[in-house]
Amino acid sequence: MSTTLPEVEAPISEPQSPELPDATYLEDQTPDWFKTPRSLFGFTTVIGAIYWIFSYRPLWHTDLWGHLSYGRLLWQGQRLPSTEPLMPLSSGVPFVDTAWLSQLIGYGAISAFGIPAMQFLYAGSITLCVALLAWRFFRRTGNTWISIAGLAAFVWLNWQQLFVIRPQLAGLVCFVSLLVMMTSRHWSRANWVVVPLLFALWANLHGSFPVGLAFLGCLFVGRACDVAWKTRSLGSIVRDTKVKRYFLLAELAAAAALLNPYGLALYAEILSVSGNANFADLVEWEPLTLRMRQGWAAAAIAMALMFVYRRTPRRVSTAEVLLLLGFGAATLWISRMIVWWAPVAAYYLVLHGGAVWKRHRSRRPLAEPPTRRSLWSVVSLGSIWIFFAYTPFGITVLHGSNERFERSVSTETPVEAVKYLNEYPPVGQIFNTYEWGDYLTWAGPKSLQVFVASHVHLVPREVWQDYLAVINVSSGWEGILDRYSVNTIIVDPLRREALIDRLRRDDQWTLGFEDNRAVVFNRRNPI
Amino acid sequence: MKTRRISLRTFVAVQLLVTAAFAVSYAGLSHESEERLQAALTGHEVVSNIPVERVKPLCIDPLYDDPEVVSDEQLAAVLEKILPRFSPKELKPNFVEHALRTWGVEATFDDPRAISGIALRDVLIDHGHFLQSWNEETVPLLVDRPEGISIRYDRTSGGSVHHDHWLASLTEAGISRDEPVFAPARRDMTINDVLQEAARDFRLDERETEWSAMAFGLWLPPVKTWRTADGRQISFDLLAQRLLRGHKRFGVCSGTHRVYSMMVLLRLDDDFDILSDATYDTVYAHLESVRDAIVASQLEDGSWPSNWPSGADAAANPLDEAVYKKVIATGHHLEWLAIAPKELHPPHEQILKAADWAINHTVERPESGIRKQYTFYSHVGKALALWRGTQPAHFWREWRKAHPYEPTKTDAAEAGRSTGSDLPTDSPSNH
Repeated sequence: MSTTLPEVEAPISEPQSPELPDATYLEDQTPDWFKTPRSLFGFTTVIGAIYWIFSYRPLWHTDLWGHLSYGRLLWQGQRLPSTEPLMPLSSGVPFVDTAWLSQLIGYGAISAFGIPAMQFLYAGSITLCVALLAWRFFRRTGNTWISIAGLAAFVWLNWQQLFVIRPQLAGLVCFVSLLVMMTSRHWSRANWVVVPLLFALWANLHGSFPVGLAFLGCLFVGRACDVAWKTRSLGSIVRDTKVKRYFLLAELAAAAALLNPYGLALYAEILSVSGNANFADLVEWEPLTLRMRQGWAAAAIAMALMFVYRRTPRRVSTAEVLLLLGFGAATLWISRMIVWWAPVAAYYLVLHGGAVWKRHRSRRPLAEPPTRRSLWSVVSLGSIWIFFAYTPFGITVLHGSNERFERSVSTETPVEAVKYLNEYPPVGQIFNTYEWGDYLTWAGPKSLQVFVASHVHLVPREVWQDYLAVINVSSGWEGILDRYSVNTIIVDPLRREALIDRLRRDDQWTLGFEDNRAVVFNRRNPI
Repeated sequence: MKTRRISLRTFVAVQLLVTAAFAVSYAGLSHESEERLQAALTGHEVVSNIPVERVKPLCIDPLYDDPEVVSDEQLAAVLEKILPRFSPKELKPNFVEHALRTWGVEATFDDPRAISGIALRDVLIDHGHFLQSWNEETVPLLVDRPEGISIRYDRTSGGSVHHDHWLASLTEAGISRDEPVFAPARRDMTINDVLQEAARDFRLDERETEWSAMAFGLWLPPVKTWRTADGRQISFDLLAQRLLRGHKRFGVCSGTHRVYSMMVLLRLDDDFDILSDATYDTVYAHLESVRDAIVASQLEDGSWPSNWPSGADAAANPLDEAVYKKVIATGHHLEWLAIAPKELHPPHEQILKAADWAINHTVERPESGIRKQYTFYSHVGKALALWRGTQPAHFWREWRKAHPYEPTKTDAAEAGRSTGSDLPTDSPSNH
């Protein structure tokens, strides 16, 4: 940046030292490309704040550690295991690692930079989604506030889903990227290459790529319906370039997804996993209801959508109806599908909200076009730097190791209990809450035999039912512990009070460790 | 803006490209992945049959011929007590299975009240014979399945009591792989189809895996791994680890069948190396702990109580339990010890003491009592025969050559009338 000071006379009323010219007469002589509107600063601040907030969010105690454990195993074994390798009770269960690349990246990052790298990947993924959406929202509406409102809708809808750091975040980045590419006003020839490449990457990062195929499918079917409706001719569907474009793109994407270590078997795995009966016992696989926070968010956004659709001057395409209703129905069926509905809903809310607002504003005198100034560029760059530098990862990169493990992980992570287990490694099978199976596998003793972990679709049905019977203190729970030769139990006092109470009163068990996060019981006479 | 048109050539080229990509990917699928894909698409599990290379199942030979444990006369007296003298009406599959595993398919008897091995076998493998013994209202024992035949196992009339006990018993009885099995609808099945179905529907985490482990062990080697219908890869290592799981008291017959099945797997490993070294060592160590428990828990009279896993506590504080429970524990322990290496034995005196108790108790037991609890006593007879390095049928055949059958008036009278009412339906048969 180069800024020169013009020679001007200082105002008489305000005498100043001759060597300090009046800054109010500074002329912006930076090149035009460096000048940006004020809205950029607004977006930078919002997006930076999101990055900063998520950088300081504690790492959730489920999923992450399991994926890192798989990553460690892949790194050390240099191959993909064909059967479940981490849960002894799931030995022999076929294992298709749908997130192997995310796991390797995660393990590589934590090995190189420690916990801050996880915080960076977590916050970075969310920030990337938000930034992409912000760009698309603003490009389509030109309205900063409506775009920011759209981002708020996206974050609000996905708030609970975003608690957990897992490969699904990588899938979300891919999905948002696809949405951003497909909702551009102008078709880019690069899409023919970029979209298949995106799917090739997606298929290796997370098993959610069929959602992307469904997205393209909706665009194709929607466009075909629109063409047929408009022309009243089925033949015109075949002749329509956009119809063909979406169809071919979906085909190429589906084919590109075959570029993974399992090839076509990945499709089989995803088809079969979604029907796993164990999921029915997990909250996030339950239907969305108003008893859930995200249910409230979904209801509110759905009402907002109805409002803007009622008033929008824009033409409503069949594709967007299919996307909103299709992904919405999937969300009602399985609440965690809200992660995919959120960007779609936010996008159409912004698109039509922007149109409604524009019509409303058109009745008033036109506002002046925003001025572009280098000041906003400088301030934006400065804020980016600040938001980066004052995060755990930034501090680590700039000042060396900054690992404050206990402050970086969720308060439900059994840190001290695992230290105890490392000091006194259990012999044989342990019983643990499924939420902790991942962390125990990651941080516990090497020989630790966890009962279950968050990859519940890999847990045999009988084992899972036995797990539920014990955790819910159902009839015969003591016998189940005996039948599995469980000698150590680690549970959380927050949710398993009844079980802990029974164990305290049972002579067979002694208290080994206790803090406000975890309780460890040991069998008095190990089996 | 002008939209760039997509030519027919481009469209066809993409179709070819995509088709080729899927074709190449399909061609590159492993057999297992191909089956999983088919299952995912059709909703029906597809699992290939396991190659079974033998026509007759493997047999675990006894290791000892010790007349100190049981003399010829004593063995004959015990076997005489456990001849399969069943009423042909409402033959309980559980009783038939025990008789078959004890006497074998080829067994024949001079005693007209005893049912031959072939006749016993037919009740189990032919729905027509089953119907003759039971009636049309009884739920069939053999269940037609799309890919094979499964066995109804439950505690209702005409059911086999334990999962895969039917298969394991016929396997121990030496049935042929190609023996036809006639279900209510399917007439084109063989024992091999039942075995394949059992391998497919096996669940490692079900309650009872003792007989599945044994049946698979006696049929499948040198095959060491196979897949179940849900895609799980089962190995003998996994089976052994499953048998090891849980407190020793768990499992059928006071946990003794788990011990027997483990011993069978160890013996099979000697010939087929079906277990990893680590698993072999773990199983061996477990059997050593079983040995230590029975050394400590033997009661004064030589029997072992049902709470044998408690070791010295069991002997110091004997349970006030029904005698048949001691028969179960003692008979079954003697049975696995007969195929176990000496290092896993308790002191010889303890074996002699246990055998003495089992012999005396069985011989003194009235026939009606044995008929009630045939399943438990059949293990005593089989165990004692093994301790003489033979099988009950073989010994009995040789014994009868020297000691021909002489019908008594009672025998003749009983043979002439239906004895269906002799088999009470409420006999304790937790086996």
